[in-house]
Formats: sequence, C-alpha cells, structure tokens
Amino acid sequence: MPAGRIFSTFLFVFGAAALSLAGLTHAADSDSGDTAALKEIRREMRQMREERKRDREVIRSLEIKVQQLETKGSSVEATTQQLQNTDEKLKETTLELQQTNAKVKTLQTKVAEGPTEPQLARLLGGYWGTHQFTIAGGAAADFIYDRQLAQNTFAVNFNPEMFFRVNDWILFQGSLDASWNPGSSGASFSSGVADAQIFLNDYMELVLGAFDQPFDDFYEDNSAFWVNRFVTAPLPYGARALVPPSDIGMQVRGGYQWGQLGQDVDYTVWAANGPSFDSALPEPVVGQMLNGFNNIGSNTNGRAYGGRFRVYPFPLDSNLGRLELGTSTYNGKWQNGLWFNAWAVDFNYLRGNLQARGSYLETYRQMPGGASPDNRQGWYVQAGYFLNGLRLPFLSSELDDYLDRLEPLVRYSGVNQRAVVADEFSTTPSLGFSGSQSVFAPHAREVALGLDYWIAPSIAWQTEFDFELPRAGGTLFSFNGASTPTASKIGATPNDRAILTQFTLGF
Amino acid sequence: MAKLRKTIMVRLLAIMLVVLSAGNVFAADNEQEQREQFKEGARLWPVYCAQCHNARPGSEFSPEQWDSILMHMRTLPNLPAKDARAILTYLKLSH
Repeated sequence: MPAGRIFSTFLFVFGAAALSLAGLTHAADSDSGDTAALKEIRREMRQMREERKRDREVIRSLEIKVQQLETKGSSVEATTQQLQNTDEKLKETTLELQQTNAKVKTLQTKVAEGPTEPQLARLLGGYWGTHQFTIAGGAAADFIYDRQLAQNTFAVNFNPEMFFRVNDWILFQGSLDASWNPGSSGASFSSGVADAQIFLNDYMELVLGAFDQPFDDFYEDNSAFWVNRFVTAPLPYGARALVPPSDIGMQVRGGYQWGQLGQDVDYTVWAANGPSFDSALPEPVVGQMLNGFNNIGSNTNGRAYGGRFRVYPFPLDSNLGRLELGTSTYNGKWQNGLWFNAWAVDFNYLRGNLQARGSYLETYRQMPGGASPDNRQGWYVQAGYFLNGLRLPFLSSELDDYLDRLEPLVRYSGVNQRAVVADEFSTTPSLGFSGSQSVFAPHAREVALGLDYWIAPSIAWQTEFDFELPRAGGTLFSFNGASTPTASKIGATPNDRAILTQFTLGF
Repeated sequence: MAKLRKTIMVRLLAIMLVVLSAGNVFAADNEQEQREQFKEGARLWPVYCAQCHNARPGSEFSPEQWDSILMHMRTLPNLPAKDARAILTYLKLSH
C-alpha cells in the first residue's frame, strides 16, 4: 500500500477517533451544542475526505512522475551504455585507421622506390609464364687498315642471340647477324644459327636445325666477337675457310665425367646437308671456296656426317690446369659421287693467366673427271697471358689497375692448297677481315700479335697487328666471265701488314 | 577392446613421428645438397667457363636468365650434366 494512502487512512481513523472522543466528551454538556459540534465535525470530516482525495491524486500524479523519471533514468542509462560502447568502437577504429595509414605510407614509400633489380628481373622473366625468353649475343665495331691496299675503314656488326626456354629440357636458339660493311649501301642480314636443343637425359642431347659446325672448337666455341681473343679468325677458319662454318641437320651430343672432378669426355655426332662449293663459278676447280651454308642437298646423293670427340685428362685438384684434347671428322659428298672429307686434331689449355689453343686439319676433295684431288691443310696455334697480378716496381698502383686488364697474345696460322681462284679474292675489308690479298695466297702464313684490354669479362678493346708472310705460290685459276678457267703459275704474294682495332661487347 | 585401441593409437603415433622426421631429413638433405652443389659450382666456374671466354659473374643475369643461358652453355662444350647443375646453382645463388 502506498505511503500516502496509509497516511490518509491513518489521518481519517485519527480524525474519526478524535471526533468520537470529542462527542463522548461533550455528550453530557447539552444537545444543541452537540448538534452544532456534530455538524462541524461532519463538515471537517468532509473537508478531510476531500483533502485526502486531493492528496491521493497528488500522490498518484507524483507516482506517475516518479515512474516516468525512473523510465527516463533507465533510458539514460541505456543511452550512456550505448555511448560508451560507441566510444570504445571509435577508439578501436581510430587505432585501425592509424595502422592502415602506416601501411599506406609504407606502400607509398615502396612504390616510390620502385621494384628492386631482382624483383624487376623476376617480373620481366616471369612475363612469359613458365617459359623464359632471353636475349644475349654480342656486338663489335672495327677500324681496319691494310698497308698493301692502302685503305682504312670502319665496320660494325650486331649479333643478338635469342633463347626461348620451354622447360628444363627444351631450348630454342636463334641468332641474327646484322653487319654494316664497307662496299655496301646499308646493313646486310643473315642468320647463322637456329636450332632446338633437347636434353634427353644427363648424357645425351639432340640438336636440330641450323648450327655452327662441330668441327674443332673454333666455330662453335670461339668465334663470337667477345670470345675470340683476336679480331680475325685463324686462317683455316677465316675468309678462306677449309671446312663449312655452319650446316643444317641434327646432332646427338653429350658429356660425362669419367674420373675425378675435371676428368671429362664429350662427344658429338651429326648428320647434315653437307658441303657445297662456290656456286658462282661456272665449273668446279681446285682451290674453290666453300659456301657457308648448304640449304639444299639436291646436288648430293646423301647427307654429310661427322663427329667430334674431346677428352680432359687432368683432375681439377691436380693443379696442372685444364687441358682439352680433341679430334674431329667431316665426311660428305659435295657432288654426286664426289666426296669431301676432313679431319682435325686440336688442343686447348688453360692454367692461371695462361691460355693456349691450336689445331691442325686436313681436307680432301675428289674432283670430277678423275682430276687430281683438291687437298688442303691448315693449322693455327695461339697463346695469351693475362697480366693480372703482375707487379712492376716502377709502376704506380693506379697503373697496376690498368695492367691487370691487359692480355697480350700471339697467333701463328697457315693454309696450304695447290691453287686459288682469282675471281674469289675479296679485297673489301669487313668486320674481322683486313681485306689483304695475301690471305688468299696458296700457301698463306700469318703472324698476328694481339693486345686485349678487358673492361669487363665480356667487354674488351682488342687490337691486332697482322703480318701476312706468304710462303710460296701455286696455281691461279681465273674465269673472268668465261665458262672455263685459265690457269697460271704464281709466286708468293707480297708480304702485307694490317692493323685492326675493335671494341666488342657480349651482352 | 580398450587395449587394442590403445595399441593402434600408439602405433599410429609412432608412424607419424617417423614420417615427420623423414620430412625434416629430406628438407635438410635438400639444403645440404644445394650447399654441396654451390661449393662444387664455385670450384668449376672459374675453370670450365674460362676455357673459352672470361668467366662471367652471376650478377650479370637474373636467375631465370641463367636457367636459359646455362642450357645453351651446357650444349656448346658438352658439359657433364651434374657439373652444369653445380655451376647453375652457383651462378643463381651468387646473383
């Protein structure tokens, strides 16, 4: 029961009791006085009832207001709690925002820096997916002076090589040769190599397509501008090569270790279109030059075949250096029923700063009509010595740095053949060729002195002094537009000198 | 039944331990093999590569480019396959 009600009830009872008591007290006085008093009491009781009623209403309204206040208070508490929750969430969000801002700043800094070299290389390398496209190769620029011809010229050659790696065991290779040589109005283009290299297992590989001749080492391993220590090729592999420099066909090759580390052996066997001789001449003659390529084999009954075998006898731990001994063979018909055969032995030696290499080869060509065979011989030997580590007492340490990069070289090469063809002589220099006529002497001899300055492992300034010292003459065939040649005896061509200087880089 | 269940659980646990240990051994073997290849490649690189040309450092090409270039370089001198792999590991890790 509400307090108000209790109080009003108590008041009513107290009033009633008081009035009753007052009535009993005045009963004895008089009756008229009693009536008036009774009326007064009734009137006061009515007044008290009305006051009690008003009090009840006030109390009720106050109760309602209290309830409303209590309700409002609950709402406020709930709102306060919500505000607290929201405040906590705001704090968490602010913290996350600060962390995100920090990450954004880090990313912005990284973007501003750009990818690192290894990252960029990986991105570019991964452009093709699991395949890999790589461009390497070389370029060279020459200045050539020949004393006999009294001419000098510049020449340029650009030789990119493209590799497309399909997977771990298939690689496609193709090269482009762009040369700007004197005597031509612009660049001339050719492609020397385009083949697939397929690794069947650890010991056997297939090569299919156009390839450098795997005869001796020079064409395959040493002919690139930045690999050859000299500007020119040795005589047997230069302007009047004794063996075709390239062919189209297939090879099976491989290598394995037969003893301790460094004691290896490798083999290459091949079949290809085979040799062909200068088709610009009306008829074949002794001394005729070989063509670089034989794209079609319609002039032969069969294909050419050959092989190369190399052995490395010294273990790496023997401190004897690395020696390679090789032998090669080439056999093919250059015309129906007419064979061309060649064989060679070669060596390659590396020990510390010393590098030496050389080879000896012979070729035999059957001539039509039972004529004497066109047999030739060629050879070269060269050596170079890096001056790295050589300390001369009179040189300052600054000059020692330049000395370390120098490699002096010497090469002796020669070719023997019975005859040469005048119509094939070229006196136009080109990259790697001085234009000297003495190179075409039947018994040509050349001493080349070289000095290489290695700016980097694959970048060099090379200078070569050639001394052409023909030993003897022979027969000179000349067509001069006729269908049959005239033959004449010639003596040794006069000696000649040439200077070639070349800047070359491998990339 | 409870004893049988316990026996099976113990055996399963033993098998799991053996398999996990083998995995760790294989991972350790691969690292060890790579280290050996790297060391052998470092010995071979200045000799084999300098046979024809000056040996070029690993920094000249990216690891992906070396994958292609070494395939070609293995072809020309007919490098033994394991030697080629060792040199490739050395060049890629010294990039």
